[in-house]
Amino acid sequence: MALQPWRTMQPRARREAWEGYLGILPWVIGFVLFTAGPLLVSLGLSFTQWDIVRPPQWVGLANYIRMFTDDDLFRTSLLVTFSYVLLSVPLQLIVGLALALLLNANLRGMNLFRTIFYLPAVLSGVAVALMWIWILHPDLGVVNGILSIFGIKGPGWFWDQHWALPSVVLMRLWSVGGGAVIYLAGLQNIPSQLYEASEIDGASRWQQFWSITLPLLTPTLFFQLITIMIDAFRIFTEAYVITKGGPLNATYFYMLYLYEEAFQNFNMGYASALGWVLVIITAIAALILFRTSSRWVFYEDSEERTV
Amino acid sequence: MKTTKVSRRQFLRMNALAATGVVLAACGASSAPQTGQSSSTAEPSSAAASAATALSVPAVAKPATITWWSVPSEEYNEEAQRKMLAAFEKANPNIKVNLTVLPADGYDQKMTTALGANQGAPDVAFFWNSAWLPQALDLEPLIKAENFDKSQYIKGFWDTRTQFKGTTVGLPLGVGANFVLYNKKTFDDMKVSYPDMNLTPEQWLQLTPKLTDPSKKRWGGDRPRGPFRAIWFNLGARPFSADSKTVSGYLNGDASVKAYTWLWDLINTNSTPTAADLDVLGTAGTGPVDLFMAGRLAMATLNQGHMLNAVSANVPFGLAREPGTGSNGSWVNAWSNTISVWKGSKEPEAAWTFLRFWGGPEGQKFLMDNANLLPSIKPVLDQYSKANEDYAKTFFQILQDRQVAEVGNLPWMSPVLRAAKPVWDKVMANQIKRDQIKAELDAVVPAAQKALDDARQRLG
Repeated sequence: MALQPWRTMQPRARREAWEGYLGILPWVIGFVLFTAGPLLVSLGLSFTQWDIVRPPQWVGLANYIRMFTDDDLFRTSLLVTFSYVLLSVPLQLIVGLALALLLNANLRGMNLFRTIFYLPAVLSGVAVALMWIWILHPDLGVVNGILSIFGIKGPGWFWDQHWALPSVVLMRLWSVGGGAVIYLAGLQNIPSQLYEASEIDGASRWQQFWSITLPLLTPTLFFQLITIMIDAFRIFTEAYVITKGGPLNATYFYMLYLYEEAFQNFNMGYASALGWVLVIITAIAALILFRTSSRWVFYEDSEERTV
Repeated sequence: MKTTKVSRRQFLRMNALAATGVVLAACGASSAPQTGQSSSTAEPSSAAASAATALSVPAVAKPATITWWSVPSEEYNEEAQRKMLAAFEKANPNIKVNLTVLPADGYDQKMTTALGANQGAPDVAFFWNSAWLPQALDLEPLIKAENFDKSQYIKGFWDTRTQFKGTTVGLPLGVGANFVLYNKKTFDDMKVSYPDMNLTPEQWLQLTPKLTDPSKKRWGGDRPRGPFRAIWFNLGARPFSADSKTVSGYLNGDASVKAYTWLWDLINTNSTPTAADLDVLGTAGTGPVDLFMAGRLAMATLNQGHMLNAVSANVPFGLAREPGTGSNGSWVNAWSNTISVWKGSKEPEAAWTFLRFWGGPEGQKFLMDNANLLPSIKPVLDQYSKANEDYAKTFFQILQDRQVAEVGNLPWMSPVLRAAKPVWDKVMANQIKRDQIKAELDAVVPAAQKALDDARQRLG
């Protein structure tokens, strides 16, 4: 809907508009001061060398050039992070959806189950990480304990170079209950008449899922895909608390590298440049998803298949 | 009122776009190693002993108000610090000190912000982060003007905690150190003789299997928590040359290979807790004190706080240096907190007057008597109530050793060790053969040299 020009507005409408601007003013001030401002400052800092307490020194594009031509840890951390994103995002989407389908069943006490599955999403990341150290301990952990009952020798999990990354993925899956609630809202918005009509037509549950549930849930899936992907690129706590990036850099995520450069090596300019490269990578990934979404995202309120 | 309808599609797109926009997560600052370059000081003098008992600080003539930021800790709780402040203000009625006791978690961030902005920083505070030292006041003119006795401090702590770019920027408050605690009962049970305080690496390798008892879920000894700590230095290993310019021949030198090989041998005794065990059963960052106290670890590298816990819990224990040969001198992983005056202080003289009370004999003795601080001033430390106990005598001796921090506090140590981390990880995970250690160290030398060059260029 087109906006009405200010000069043609009635006095009452103008007053309401002013009230609206006044209402959002605290948020705008907060955004400028605490989000947009620091973002712009960090962009400026990315062209400097800065050790926090001495004045920054302008180095132009040197930080970016070094990153792409002379920094093995940058490449390692990027590779590890991409591996994590590729492994974790599809799994989180699928498991979250599967959980939401279960939680959408019309059973007695379902609200209690929904609450229980949502609980991990409100727990502190550090506390959860410490709990998972115990759960996945090779000798004392409950997971390997259960595997041993079936005669399976469990892996070294966080302490094994090949299992460390899958362990972090597994740990993240534990908290898909938060995403499942969003799927659940999407599922409950699908008109029940569609299911009733398909039942009359003799559709099976599987056909209902493929032809009704999944297509009508694609906007929610798209939203989840974007947010989960961004979250995956920013993974930090698990590596910081549990693995410290090891063993053998198997969990040396990009944000951990950024953190070490900023707060251990006092290389704030380089860390800012690392931050902006991550912003650009994430933005490109999101843009690709937006561009391709027209082929698979269906909106109920639109006759078109495109976004 | 006119409204613009937002469709579900638009809403979801807007949300996705908004989420895309902000990617950078805010990361909290961490406690970083403290920096200090080595300089020489005289040996502790007995003359300082008499100073320890008297309030010798001359009063500042004109009235002044200064700010002091501190944190509470086991060594100096808030109540003790406030009492100490009252004693100072009584002796110096012209100086008013506004104390802010910050939670330890938020202290680093607040200091970094204030010092980075160059405004709002306290006149006197802990400067334990090496990145802050350029903002600390050069104390040398004040020290010289008042003939302040530097020699009263234990040399290692003065050298490693107060020097920056060839001048004095702080005083060392309190002391701490790592050493080996061994459980005498376990030694008795296994009919093994106690080690003397100069434990060797070979003895450690021999003792750990003898003291291990799988039926009691007991390990003989723990494993080091990182390379280039006391044992590495005791064996003569260094990560780079004394002038901090060269890695080759040091990180991969004979002494370093020997230290990593010793670690390899220790891991292969299967008598130490695994890395996973230490992560789960150890106490974060401070060593496996709980395992030691529970009698499940016969020898452990712990600190003076753990030692006092063992005393309280009546655990029969003995003390030894971290393993070494003696031929390279005895090195200790020790620490103290640097306290400084901010360069931007409007009242530097009053701030110095308070600083030298807090970090001098009066303040440190007060905090020793009224809290749990172990002072960095030897004559005051000698007045410790348990100073005549065997463990205290051994601990005081260890405090005189050369400190790993002489090298460890250099700001390029961390990036160099980061580059060398793959070797550590492989040895800890038992992924390489004993004779591959040299080749593995050779392989990380180029990355370590690059990290050293880069850090020196930025922070040197």
